[in-house]
Amino acid sequence: MPRLLLFYRLLVRPLFQEPVRAALIVLAVALGVAVVLAIDLAGNAATGSFRSSMETLAGDDDLEITATGGVPEDVVGVLAALPYSIRVSPRIEDFAVIAETKKSLPLIGMDLVAEGATYAQSESTNTAEGSARPAVGESFEHLGDLDSAWVSSSLGYKTGDRLQLLINDRESAYTVRGIYPDSNGKESAIVMDIAAAQHALTRYGRVDRILLKVPQQPGLDQWTQRLRAALPAGVNVRPQGAGTNENRRMLAAFRWNLRLLSYISLVVGAFLIYNAISVSVVRRRAEVGIVRALGAARFAILTAFVGEAACFGLAGALMGLPLGRFMANGAVKLMATTVQSLYVSSRPGPIELTASSIFFALAIGVGVAVLSAYSPAREAAMVSPVEAMARGRREYDTRVHKARDFWLAVVLGVAAAAASRAPAIAGKPLFGYLAAILLVAASALAIPAFADALMSFSSRVIGGLLGVEAMLASRSLAASLRRTSVLVGALSTAIAMMTSVGIMVGSFRETVVLWMNDRLPADLYLRPAGNPAVDHHPTISLDLAQRLETLPGVEAVARLRAYEISYDGIPATLASIDPQALRKSRRSNFFSGRPIEQVFAELRDSNAVIVSEPFTYKHHVKTSDSITLSLGAAQATFRIADVYYDYSSERGIIIMARATLLRYLPDPAPSSLGVYVAPGTAVETVRAELERAAAGHSILMFSNRDLRAEAIRIFDRTFAITYALEAVAVVVGVMGIAGALLALVIDRRRELGLLRFLGAATGQVRKLILVEAALLGVLANLAGLIQGFALSLILIYVINKQSFGWTIRFHWPMQILLGALTVVYAATILAGLYPAQVAVRLNPLEVVHEE
Amino acid sequence: MPILSLQDVSKDYLTDGQRVRALSGISLSFERGEFVALVGRSGCGKSTLLNLAGAMDFPTSGKVLLDGIATFSLKDAGLTQLRRERIGFVFQSFQLLHTLTVYENVELPLLLAGKSNPREAAKERLAWVELDGYGDRYPHQLSGGQMQRVAIARALIHSPSLLLADEPTGNLDTTTGNVILELLHRLTRERNTATILATHSPEAAALASIVVRLRDGKIEEITRR
Repeated sequence: MPRLLLFYRLLVRPLFQEPVRAALIVLAVALGVAVVLAIDLAGNAATGSFRSSMETLAGDDDLEITATGGVPEDVVGVLAALPYSIRVSPRIEDFAVIAETKKSLPLIGMDLVAEGATYAQSESTNTAEGSARPAVGESFEHLGDLDSAWVSSSLGYKTGDRLQLLINDRESAYTVRGIYPDSNGKESAIVMDIAAAQHALTRYGRVDRILLKVPQQPGLDQWTQRLRAALPAGVNVRPQGAGTNENRRMLAAFRWNLRLLSYISLVVGAFLIYNAISVSVVRRRAEVGIVRALGAARFAILTAFVGEAACFGLAGALMGLPLGRFMANGAVKLMATTVQSLYVSSRPGPIELTASSIFFALAIGVGVAVLSAYSPAREAAMVSPVEAMARGRREYDTRVHKARDFWLAVVLGVAAAAASRAPAIAGKPLFGYLAAILLVAASALAIPAFADALMSFSSRVIGGLLGVEAMLASRSLAASLRRTSVLVGALSTAIAMMTSVGIMVGSFRETVVLWMNDRLPADLYLRPAGNPAVDHHPTISLDLAQRLETLPGVEAVARLRAYEISYDGIPATLASIDPQALRKSRRSNFFSGRPIEQVFAELRDSNAVIVSEPFTYKHHVKTSDSITLSLGAAQATFRIADVYYDYSSERGIIIMARATLLRYLPDPAPSSLGVYVAPGTAVETVRAELERAAAGHSILMFSNRDLRAEAIRIFDRTFAITYALEAVAVVVGVMGIAGALLALVIDRRRELGLLRFLGAATGQVRKLILVEAALLGVLANLAGLIQGFALSLILIYVINKQSFGWTIRFHWPMQILLGALTVVYAATILAGLYPAQVAVRLNPLEVVHEE
Repeated sequence: MPILSLQDVSKDYLTDGQRVRALSGISLSFERGEFVALVGRSGCGKSTLLNLAGAMDFPTSGKVLLDGIATFSLKDAGLTQLRRERIGFVFQSFQLLHTLTVYENVELPLLLAGKSNPREAAKERLAWVELDGYGDRYPHQLSGGQMQRVAIARALIHSPSLLLADEPTGNLDTTTGNVILELLHRLTRERNTATILATHSPEAAALASIVVRLRDGKIEEITRR
């Protein structure tokens, strides 16, 4: 108790005397904690608690049977005929859009006679478990109707309502035959009898998945083996919900990288805690001496300063909790958009601030604060009582060590370069992260030498240019090298992250723009209306595709068909193209550099595929390797003819010739069409022709330019969250500058008061502080830019490459960088306004004469 | 015209809501070339009087005239101008900026006043205080006496008509303190400034041409020699 009292009197109470500075530090920690918490909560909601939409109405099944392009319907018969007591539930699974609300929902076709009856018998039990299969009951008589649908209660329909659904490129009317409660109250879907769903999707003779409930004995592995033996080669048996797990695995790298980005604000916050405790130690040096002389042990001094930091950390974390929860709302939307655009259709789950999340936030807030405070606290503890009275020794230490630290920085820089050349470990760019950490550490160590050199230079030059205030400002910064270095370190880390991510995203964007020039050679593109998603591929009626080819002004129509597959336990896209239709490409988009015609000729003439760059990374394959694909009931092996650059999806893509795919999956309906306009024909004329021809079909048509603009819009939306994270880190850094300048003003109040005695006008005192802020901004911007450039190389060529497998061409996004740096610089100067005002308000009489 | 004139000056401070009178009914005037010692116990109002004389504070009542200019009639810019042109300060604890060299410390008032090329003036003032050749050193490389000399050189850089020194020997040993007093006395004569010292030192009082003894904010005695 007495110790706590002492702690309060000597360390906590003084904080209340500088409420603004203390609040800035707490707020900086709070923001850092909030960002990490927000990303964690949003990540859990958007991806961690990810559950495939198609699991909406899955019950207590054990296994599932899938095949690329659908499982032949006769497999259901095969399974039913097996001498085992197995419940067989075939499924048709796709998406439908409610025309009225444009809401995209899972469309599930199931055997309502069998499953509805099962449900009816155990309705109460299943409901309690959160499962919800439609109660067909009295509506059995409508099962045979192809226009019957059952919908979840949250959609707001009632039995007998008419429902207009867009399925593939056709809009049709359905009658609501029944309402079922939403599973867990969150997921909703449209349910049809399996025959109606097959009809709606023109998916005759196939089902998308067969769910199996097997007896508990002899275990799932045994059952898997038994069933596999009974099924055709291309048909896959796996635990039910394995697709969800695959998606989760696929999302792991995305979450991992985003989580790491969120830690930047915390790192910046750590710098500021370090600075705050260093300031505290320097200010209380004499007090430390007195307390030590009065009998305090070294450990007591250490724990006192660490305790002060822990107070900042705890207060920051407590404030960060609600802030993080609030920020998670925005983050989850951004993350869900990215997940939808790049990975998989899913709806974010609820944001749950659990006890473990709260503990996590408190632990990182206090943990980071304590860790960053340890070094200055230990120094305070090690100083002897006599030494504690001597001011300025700390600065001397920094001067003495700056050359050593610089050489250490060089060594760390070399180590970072070495680490950046190491390969990924288990698909994670661990050495890339290590290289980035080493680089940040190297920068922190190099900053005292950098700041000293620059301040020495500027103090000679700047006085002549900007007057005596600037000279005083630069001298002051050079004299407080330790503090200057920590502040520059904090802000430059934030700027470096902003710069590096800015360069990486800018380079990526430029690469995508260049890539689209080659990838999108057609003049017009058509796809079924509805919400686009990377993992579902609605089709266009074949007759329409054929009709479009005959229209005047149409030179060629390229048909693309895509399927969602699982390759090696990871979701991927299998697509087919018309090699002969894609003849306008200007430049090779292949690793080999071969012309597109040559590669496509190979696809046409042999059992060959091309694969996207991310596919090679995920599956460790290269040109000339062979891959085996399950296609329908068959399995077939293909040679990789080449690898192409692709930035449309992080999922791997396999492309084969249309004719080849049709041999295995004889569904000719295309997923999208690329229309080439004949030379000399106006695109708008052809577009009007196409629109006329497509009347009655729900088709979206994009010009080449529209599609590119849309792609770039999606791209920008995808990376919005990274910019948001960088912005928070910079805000934390700028707040740190404001807090530190405030401390600087308070510590140098005597000097500032003296200047008034010596004839300084209030404006000159204000200018002095603002010039200090500006100099800190220049230092931080320069250091951040250099560090950011180096980090961007690691991000582009190591972390991105090893995480996602994309080759990005380096590009300086000058406009974005200049704009961002200008804003940061202006913010840094603005951060000096309040401290400058405090400096102006100081009473020279009080501060000069105080001892 | 006297360089400094205080006419029935009183000064009150508010301390914890209580009005405390620091100076009461002070009337004084000093001419150039006069070396004045303000003596009295701690808290008698010496520093307050210096602050009023230096246009760093305003009287609660009465007038302070510097070279005939009433300080209360000036705003912040005018007061700053007055300090830049007519007043030099010397402090007990030297108040040098440790980040600046001796030259730069001495030049500081001229630079703050926007004057260019102050180096020659700084060299000259350092010669006055017998610190030739010390210009490139930093304060921490000097002794206490040398630091106070630098502070005096700085106070004289703009040739003020009034030099105000608050316990200039308070942080120095007796021998060094006496040297500093002699220096101030000599410079007052040579430069024709008025110097006012707040001091406890009998040596300072002995050197002064006018000794003003204060007690509880009032003039107890004025001795002119």
